[in-house]
Amino acid sequence: MESFKFEAIGTLFEVRTAHPLGDGLEWALLNEAERFDWVWSRFRPDSLVAQMRANGGRWDLPAESSRLSALYSRLYRVTDGGVNPWVGSSLERLGYGPGYELVPVGGPEPAPSWDAQHLWQGAAVVLAHPAVLDIGAAGKGLLVDLFGAILEEAGHSEYLIDGSGDIRHAGSEPIRAALEHPYQPDEAIGVVELQNGALCASAGNRRAWGDGLHHLLDARTGAPVETVVATWAMAEDAMTADGIATALFVCPGADLVGEFPAIEWLQVFSDGHAEGSPAFIEGLFT
Amino acid sequence: MPSPSTLRRFTSQPARQVVLGALAGASLVGAVAGCAPSNVSAGTEGRAPSGSVPTTATSASAAGGSSVSHAYRDGTYSTDGHYTSPNGPETVGVTLTLKSGVVTDVQITEHPTSANTRLFQKHFASGIKDVVVGKKLDDLNVGVVAGSSLTGQGFNDAVSVIKGEAS
Repeated sequence: MESFKFEAIGTLFEVRTAHPLGDGLEWALLNEAERFDWVWSRFRPDSLVAQMRANGGRWDLPAESSRLSALYSRLYRVTDGGVNPWVGSSLERLGYGPGYELVPVGGPEPAPSWDAQHLWQGAAVVLAHPAVLDIGAAGKGLLVDLFGAILEEAGHSEYLIDGSGDIRHAGSEPIRAALEHPYQPDEAIGVVELQNGALCASAGNRRAWGDGLHHLLDARTGAPVETVVATWAMAEDAMTADGIATALFVCPGADLVGEFPAIEWLQVFSDGHAEGSPAFIEGLFT
Repeated sequence: MPSPSTLRRFTSQPARQVVLGALAGASLVGAVAGCAPSNVSAGTEGRAPSGSVPTTATSASAAGGSSVSHAYRDGTYSTDGHYTSPNGPETVGVTLTLKSGVVTDVQITEHPTSANTRLFQKHFASGIKDVVVGKKLDDLNVGVVAGSSLTGQGFNDAVSVIKGEAS
C-alpha cells in the first residue's frame, strides 16, 4: 500500500491506497482540507464560522452543510440536546477556542438551544445573535468522507483513510482495527474488522487540559463528560460514525440504535466496564 | 410492518428494559444489564429460574458447598423466552450460569424470523463487559489503530506551553 501522511484541521491524516496518488491527487486532498478548514474552523479568525461568531446574521455555507445539519438535527433530537452544534460558546468558555488558550474564563455553561434564534438548515445559517457553530462532533468524519469521494472520483477503489481515529475503508480486503486503550496508548482493548465502511473513535482524556477539562461536553450542562471515557462507532460513512461516537458520551448506545439502526457501537466507562453492540463486545479481549 | 412510531418506541429503550419487558422470568434477565442481584430469590427451589423447564442443565455442582439458603442449583440453564413483536410471536434464547445463587454469565441467543426482529434482537444482545482488558499493540496483527492518541501539533504545543508555565 502507498501511504500519504499530512496534517490538516489540527490533526494528522494518513491516506493509504493500492496505487500511488500522484502530485495532483495529493494536492487535491490538501486543497480540500484547506477549504474545509477555512469554512468550519473555530480556531482561525478568517473562517466562516469565526465571522458568524463575530457578526451573527445570515450565512450561506457550502454544500456539505446540508449533510452535516441533517445529522446534527437527528443527534440533537435523539440525545435530547446533549449533542448541539451551538456548543462552541461552552467550549470556548472552558478554554478550547481560538489560539488554544486552554484557560477557562468561568464555570461550565449550557449551549444555547437550537431554536429560532439559531437556525441552521441545509446550507443556511441565520443567527439572531452572534453564536459559535461547532461541528466537532462530526466534522472530522465528514472531511474523511470528502477525501474518500475525491479518491473514488479519481478511480481509487481500494483505500484506507485514517484521520487520527476517524477511519474509512474501501476495498475487497477487510482490515483489522485495534481499539486503542483509553489510558494506555501502546495497548488495545479489542480488535474489530472493518470493510467498506467507517470506524470512528472518540476519547476525552487525550485532548485534556487539566483538572477534568476536555473537549467532549454535554451541551445541556456545558461540562465535560466524566462517566464515559472512550467510545467507538461503525457506520456506512465516517461523518455518521464520528457523530455517533461523540453522541455516545451523552446518550446510551441503545437509544442511538433506535434512530440509526445500521450502527455498531461501544462505550467504555470510567469504572472500566464496557457496553456495546455484539460486533464490538465480541471483539474485546477477555 | 410496524409504524415508525412503534419502531422507535420499541428500540429506544435501554436494552435491559426491553429484555425485561420481553421475556418471562424478569428477575433473572435483569442480570443482562450487568447489575446481577446478589442472589436470586424468586421462584421455587429446584426449578429453572425463568419459570419454564430448562432445556439443558450442565456442569451442575450443587453438592459443592451450596447452602440451603440458595434456591437454585449451580449450573448452566438454557431456555427460550417468547414475546409478541410487531411482527408476531418471536423467540429469544437465554442461557445463564448460576453459582451459589448468583448469575455469573448470561448469553442471549438470537432467533430472528424477520429483518425487523433481527434488528430488535441485535439490540437485546447488546453486550456488557465487566472491565476492559488491554493487550500490547505490538503483539496484535492489525492494520490500523482506532484511537485518539494522535493529536495535532497545535494542541500538543499548547499543552506543552501550559505545562511549562505550570512547572
